[in-house]
Amino acid sequence: MKLPAPPTEKSFPSPLHHPRVATVIGRWLAAAVTICFLTGLYSHFLQDTPSWLPVPSRPANLYRVTQGLHVLSGIVAVPLLLAKLWTVYPKLFAKPPWPPSRQALATMLERASILVLVSAMALELFIGFVNTLQWYPWPFPFRQTHYALAWIIVGALLVHLAVKLPLIRANWRRTAETAPDSLPPAITGLTRRGLFRTVAGAATLVGIASVGQSAPAFGPLAVLAPRKPNIGPQGLPVNRTAGAAGVTGIDENWRFLIMGPQQLSYSLDQLRALPQSRSELPIACVEGWSQGARWEGIRIRDLLELCGAPAQSRVRVVSMEKGGFYATSELPEEFAADPLTLLALRLNGGELALDHGFPARIIAPNRPGVLQTKWVHRLEVIT
Amino acid sequence: MKTRIGLAVVGVGVGLWGLWLLLSALEPPALVRLPIWLGGAVLADDFVLVPLTVGVGSLVARWSAGPDRHRTVGAVRTTLLYVGITSLIAVPLLLRQGKGVNPTVLPRDYLRDWLLLEATIIVGGVAGYFFTLRRSRASSGDIGGR
Repeated sequence: MKLPAPPTEKSFPSPLHHPRVATVIGRWLAAAVTICFLTGLYSHFLQDTPSWLPVPSRPANLYRVTQGLHVLSGIVAVPLLLAKLWTVYPKLFAKPPWPPSRQALATMLERASILVLVSAMALELFIGFVNTLQWYPWPFPFRQTHYALAWIIVGALLVHLAVKLPLIRANWRRTAETAPDSLPPAITGLTRRGLFRTVAGAATLVGIASVGQSAPAFGPLAVLAPRKPNIGPQGLPVNRTAGAAGVTGIDENWRFLIMGPQQLSYSLDQLRALPQSRSELPIACVEGWSQGARWEGIRIRDLLELCGAPAQSRVRVVSMEKGGFYATSELPEEFAADPLTLLALRLNGGELALDHGFPARIIAPNRPGVLQTKWVHRLEVIT
Repeated sequence: MKTRIGLAVVGVGVGLWGLWLLLSALEPPALVRLPIWLGGAVLADDFVLVPLTVGVGSLVARWSAGPDRHRTVGAVRTTLLYVGITSLIAVPLLLRQGKGVNPTVLPRDYLRDWLLLEATIIVGGVAGYFFTLRRSRASSGDIGGR
């Protein structure tokens, strides 16, 4: 018995395996990757702000938009990446260059760069999506790997563009289309334009089926999203519950402390007696979901004034959370001084639910949800 | 040529920066296992997903050669593709249904919603088929020929 011969570059008769198709779908994929990379960098710098980088506290909804776009562009990139791989698939079976020569070496290097690009991008999209389900089946840390792979992808993509630049230029504008030899086009029927429409439709479809986790108006349609923005205590989803954080509530001896030029100590009733302000601010999570909410509490800048600290102060926020990377956070000067930034005691008209940070939590504009520290019991003015 | 060399140099630099980030952030056991996952991602794409698309695509093309099927093939192909891509994305949601770390993660009935989504796509495909059929008949005064 004879095994069938392995496929070669010529085994794929469709005329859609063409550089023009690769160029068009590549442009779309590059747009998605660029949006995903830049919004990802923004999120990274918000969470891990280098001292030289001033981050503004407005517009208040900026992070909600950028992180929603980050996750959306990642999901939309899945059909685009698969379409791109399909288009160039015959290249996978191109004969390895032989005998060795400089040209052969260049070809091998190029193929290695494509291996890096494809493997990193496929894994990045996979772990990115599965992370939004808060499921971590892999043996490496998500955040660090996701961040490093992003740089590797962009690097490999630039190398890929450098290699393919003449081909991209030659196919940037529409080129003549050849009909397939084997079957009349009236029968197989898929023209380039038809393929582009189909791929764009697939990208739109998965986008519509998932964007509702960031845009609550589309919530009911978000059947491919791991979150529904209005599901959760007080109409707001939760990432880390009180149970997971090891917080059980407070007793009557509970005190809220402010360590500044003066040391202040308040009971919960005393906090409630301070002048209360209202903010309409979203919780915008790094996993892409977000939901607007009405918060009531004391402005951080009012608390700074009470303890005699300058209006432009950095503030360390300390939670009752047991351990965990986000048990403390820092409010940069501009965020602490913003009138929207509250030590919130109430949410959507009721007392904060324990899972939302009872008795007190931080809510600030343009911030990732993980930095909106819950179960706060101490503020420290950093001098 | 200068542009290409510039792009390549910047690309290699950026890629090495990413590699350095990996090497400095990951412990050795994780660094050893990461390439296995990277290889797995390539295998999944290049030896499962794309061959599946190529295979189904050529079956559809062969099937479409039958009498009068050229009218249906566009709708069939698009519907299959949309069912495939949405189902691929639904796989992790279906696997983790009911296993969210808290009740606000994965709160939907994803099996029901996935079936509804696929049913909607198929209904859309059928509607698209009749729409193109009517349009082609109207424009060609068609009497069943090609």
